[in-house]
Amino acid sequence: MTGILELRGVSQAYRLGRRSPFVTASYLQVLSNVDFAVRTGQAVGLVGESGAGKTTMTRILTGLERPQTGQVLFDGKDLWEMNAVERLEFRRNLGVVMQNPRSSLDPRMPVGSSLLEPLRSLGIDCDHVARVNEVIEQVGMASSVLGRYPHEFSGGQLQRIAIARALMTRPIVLIADEPVSALDVSIQAQVLNLLMDLVTDLNLALMLVAHDLSVVAYATSRVSVLAAGEIVETGQPLELFSRPKSKATQDLVAAVLTMEAGLAGRGLD
Amino acid sequence: MRLNVSLIIGAILTFCAISIAVVSTFWLPYNPNLPNIPNRLLAAGSAEHWLGTDVLGRDIISQLMVGARTSIVVGAGGATISLVLGAIMGLIAAASGKIVDETISRVADIMLSIPGMVTALVLAATLGSGALTTIFALTAFFTPSFTRVARSAALSVLQEDFITAAQLYGRGRMPRVARHVFPNIAGVLIVQFTLYFAAGILTEAGLSYLGVGVTRPGISWGLMLSEAQNQVGVSSPLAMWPGLSIVIVVLGLNLMGDGLRDVLDPKLSKSIL
Ligand SMILES: Nc1ncnc2c1ncn2[C@@H]1O[C@H](COP(=O)(O)OP(=O)(O)OP(=O)(O)O)[C@@H](O)[C@H]1O
Ligand SMILES: [Mg+2]
Repeated sequence: MTGILELRGVSQAYRLGRRSPFVTASYLQVLSNVDFAVRTGQAVGLVGESGAGKTTMTRILTGLERPQTGQVLFDGKDLWEMNAVERLEFRRNLGVVMQNPRSSLDPRMPVGSSLLEPLRSLGIDCDHVARVNEVIEQVGMASSVLGRYPHEFSGGQLQRIAIARALMTRPIVLIADEPVSALDVSIQAQVLNLLMDLVTDLNLALMLVAHDLSVVAYATSRVSVLAAGEIVETGQPLELFSRPKSKATQDLVAAVLTMEAGLAGRGLD
Repeated sequence: MRLNVSLIIGAILTFCAISIAVVSTFWLPYNPNLPNIPNRLLAAGSAEHWLGTDVLGRDIISQLMVGARTSIVVGAGGATISLVLGAIMGLIAAASGKIVDETISRVADIMLSIPGMVTALVLAATLGSGALTTIFALTAFFTPSFTRVARSAALSVLQEDFITAAQLYGRGRMPRVARHVFPNIAGVLIVQFTLYFAAGILTEAGLSYLGVGVTRPGISWGLMLSEAQNQVGVSSPLAMWPGLSIVIVVLGLNLMGDGLRDVLDPKLSKSIL
């Protein structure tokens, strides 16, 4: 069961600030012996409560942080032993979407320029303008938006543009860390549908991170539950909902049910 | 659409001051240093000397025009050099590791803790007083402030997700700073520049007033004020003209800075005019 992008036995700890020079530094164990894989043509979900270590996992998967122990493998090659050519290849094949769409686009750049940036930076040899037009259409927007600035868009539109930027270099892996949690509930489904369509149309490997189990259950076919830095459970979303084994999963299910009950209750009066 | 009144008024005042300074380089009504004792202390409104003459009979308008040039050259010179040095140091501090950042920040703190007047007096004593020395003194006061402003603005931009995104699509550290951080802090720096330009004019006037800035044959509004002080009571307008000039130009620059603050904010930029 190998994936295109994998974590093998990854652990990560952060050194906490020492309050006094007489006390030995303490460490916060954020990830413990994590195995995780993203496969081509498949959407996998990662859920966990706040502070579970989800963002840390995506930072390690994308090569922003080096894990203390364990390996990150892209197409079987260790990320931290790659040569420059392999690293460039990895960068081209990776698209990342972040949580806050307002923060993920440079306010001083027209969105068209923001979309061109990955092509320029990674030296992609193609008709850049044609590619920008193609991708903006792929995320359901008109090419007339390209000359406008980020402040002229809604959060949902910005997230579509951020997804477009992630797709510019035709990546095979897309990592989305809480891509809908900053959005209105009514917009969330649209953005999730877009991501699901892209997985099928482009045969992507998608990793979708969320703290809300219903979000990953809606959009992915396999879900891992992260609690206090450990993967405590992996399975199909419905399985997790109906027979949650771990305490963490039960809590996540309860959170979804409580919210639904709350909504239903409000509908009654 | 909203009219940015401060920006317009500020820009007009500043433009007038700069124009007068430029004109003074090639045309003046009279030689501002040439005494003309028979005409001394003429009141404003005389046919030949619209704003009158000083105690030695020197034309006030001509002196004010040269004073405008001094103020602008010194204020803009000090603010520009400080802006460039401060922006470079601030960006380096923000984008580098802890050691470089700490070093730059502590040096800035130390420089800020030295009273500006001490720096100015030491420089005047070692280099001799004059416009250039005043520019150096201003650079010494202002560079650490610009460094702090640039550093903290850059740090907040570096937290943004578009920086992480750029890192992910392979932009190195310096290209990230050049393409994303600098354009995002430029507005803050421009506003800061106009305010320090004004502060530089005030400081120059203060130093010249105290006799450690511009001295004859140079002319500065501060110098005119100090010369007029000996005459107050005899002819108080002598102090009024340079005083008014300082107020108008400083006000103009501050209004412009306030206006630019709104205009340069991308979220408000719809309301430029
Ligand atoms: N650079 C760091 N230094 C020290 N501690 C850190 C650092 N980055 C993250 N942490 C800590 O690691 C833990 C996991 O953080 P992480 O951001 O991965 O959680 P998360 O699951 O993404 O949470 P959220 O849902 O709130 O985004 C948290 O307790 C956080 O405080
Ligand atoms: Mg997170």
